[in-house]
Amino acid sequence: MSLRDLLRLAVSRLGTGKLRTGLTMLGIIIGVASVVALVSVGQGATEGINSRLEGLGTNLLTINPGFSTSGATRGALGSATTLTIEDASAISALPDIAGVAPELSSQQLVVAGSQNETTTVIGTTPAYPLVYAYTMWQGSFLNQASVDHSLRAAVLGNTTATNLGLTASSIGSTIYISGLPFEIVGIMQPKGGSGFVSPDDEVLIPVTTARDLFVGSDSVRTVGVSVTTQAAMNTANAEITALLDQRHGIGAGGTPDFTITSQTQLLSTVSSVSTLLTVLLAGIASISLIVGGIGIMNIMLVSVRERTREIGIRKAIGARGRDILLQFLFEALMLSVAGGIVGIVVGVLASGVIAVIAGWAFTFNPFTVVVSVVFSLIVGIVFGVWPASQAARLDPVVALRYE
Amino acid sequence: MSEPILQLERVSRIYDTGKVLVPALQDVDLTVDRGEFLAIVGPSGSGKSTMMHILGCLDRPTSGRYVLDGTPVEELDDDALAAVRSRSIGFIFQSYNLLPRTSALENVATPLAYQGVPRRERLERARAALTLLGLGDRLDHEPTELSGGQQQRVGIARALVTEPAVLLADEPTGNLDSHAGAEVIELFRQLHATGRTIVLITHDLEVAEAADRQVHIRDGRIAPDGRIAA
Ligand SMILES: Nc1ncnc2c1ncn2[C@@H]1O[C@H](COP(=O)(O)OP(=O)(O)O)[C@@H](O)[C@H]1O
Ligand SMILES: [Mg+2]
Repeated sequence: MSLRDLLRLAVSRLGTGKLRTGLTMLGIIIGVASVVALVSVGQGATEGINSRLEGLGTNLLTINPGFSTSGATRGALGSATTLTIEDASAISALPDIAGVAPELSSQQLVVAGSQNETTTVIGTTPAYPLVYAYTMWQGSFLNQASVDHSLRAAVLGNTTATNLGLTASSIGSTIYISGLPFEIVGIMQPKGGSGFVSPDDEVLIPVTTARDLFVGSDSVRTVGVSVTTQAAMNTANAEITALLDQRHGIGAGGTPDFTITSQTQLLSTVSSVSTLLTVLLAGIASISLIVGGIGIMNIMLVSVRERTREIGIRKAIGARGRDILLQFLFEALMLSVAGGIVGIVVGVLASGVIAVIAGWAFTFNPFTVVVSVVFSLIVGIVFGVWPASQAARLDPVVALRYE
Repeated sequence: MSEPILQLERVSRIYDTGKVLVPALQDVDLTVDRGEFLAIVGPSGSGKSTMMHILGCLDRPTSGRYVLDGTPVEELDDDALAAVRSRSIGFIFQSYNLLPRTSALENVATPLAYQGVPRRERLERARAALTLLGLGDRLDHEPTELSGGQQQRVGIARALVTEPAVLLADEPTGNLDSHAGAEVIELFRQLHATGRTIVLITHDLEVAEAADRQVHIRDGRIAPDGRIAA
């Protein structure tokens, strides 16, 4: 029998007993659909994380006090008090550095007219918008003079401004932070979500003002550093390390009391974790493909039994064992591949819906489709070959006498 | 003249059920000449179907020699036997044995598919065979949409379409009423008249009368003079 004849037979067989065919394919449909959807969701999530991280600011190095890779007796990252405002200004004098933004943050009650909210108040420097990729919506950011003279000037994140009922015309008016009056000098453009903490819900004041009024010490939790170019990241990292080692009196081989994290490092860590998760999830989903394959094998074994007489007839009119084997194998393949194709469609639709709900870009990976089709082919062969060879081996006389 | 088309020499077939040995055929000698119309007659359980399975290369003798059209069958492997069935044998069954849910045309064309005949040609030949048997207007009917007599004619068309050396018919009238049965027998006589070799197996002496020659079988043995011992 030619390949075409076998295909025609298998297709016409699919048409008879549609319910059974559908139920048999369901296992493969679910398996393939979940693999496709999970891979797509995993990719969407990874890309979402990446784009948010990129939104943090370009060529960003983050310095925290404390050392992250040491033993469990150490305090959490950022809990040490060794990094100071002076360290930050020393760093800004290094070459390859475009801007340095220390952060002295505390939670404060902020009042504007009749509105109030408790939010993060961050003492920082004019480099903050550069380092963290903010742009201004109204007014201007804090200037150097406000830092030099510890002025009571405040810049509001967009969400904070909205929460407090402030508008474009509010520039120049007064808000009260922990009861102390500050002049609103600017309101920033919203930046959009970045994880669980909104980057737009914050109030920025001069770092010196924060130190004097709210924190009472000049040890900072975070220093953000913007490096001039991507290529200079490693050099800048080394220069900062050398400078801080020297300033903190850490000799060669000593344990540093600070940690420098690069954004690219963070990015690759996060995306490798989420890739791992994707692979893991797809692996779990592919188990249902195997279950689907067993379903096909089951139904094919039943089919061989039911069609014993047909097999006998076919042998009597000239079919070789191979013809019978291929006929049943093609039926199994038809089931698994048809199930695979429906599964791909369902999986793509599902990942589209999930992407819309989760709010990330819908990703469609043709590679997944190819892999799914190949995988369902393999499932069809693996689970179809045994029933088919049972059919091929039937003794024609026994098969013809079978009722 | 030419050598016989079928020749059984001391053929036995003993079924092994696991518990007992059932000798369904014992030391059977039989010769069928080219163009002959032979009836094998015997009561139920006498070994007729067993003999047809061996003659049709569906089964192998336990012992003895079977030569089909000059070829000793015991030397052939399963694929070669399938090839012999495909080219040299046309089976006609009591219960028609058409492929279910398959049109008359596809049923008749299927043996040609196993010969590797291109689809267009095999449909053409199947249509011709069915038309010859008066079923030209039933090509698209499935077995359940045909009467018994019509189904048997589809079965005969399927056996004829490959132009086999021998037609083997096992109780072809067994499931038919007398009218339809008589039609089938008349068909066999016509086919015989065109030179076909036919082996007709039946328990019905009246049906067997249609053949040129009768061989009687009882308890797996051919009656000595070809007649039932009185
Ligand atoms: N597969 C088998 N196993 C055991 N005994 C069998 C088998 N097939 C047929 N027989 C026995 O062989 C004898 C001949 O059967 P069969 O050739 O079908 O006779 P007939 O066609 O003349 O009625 C019977 O006794 C039957 O029971
Ligand atoms: Mg019988």
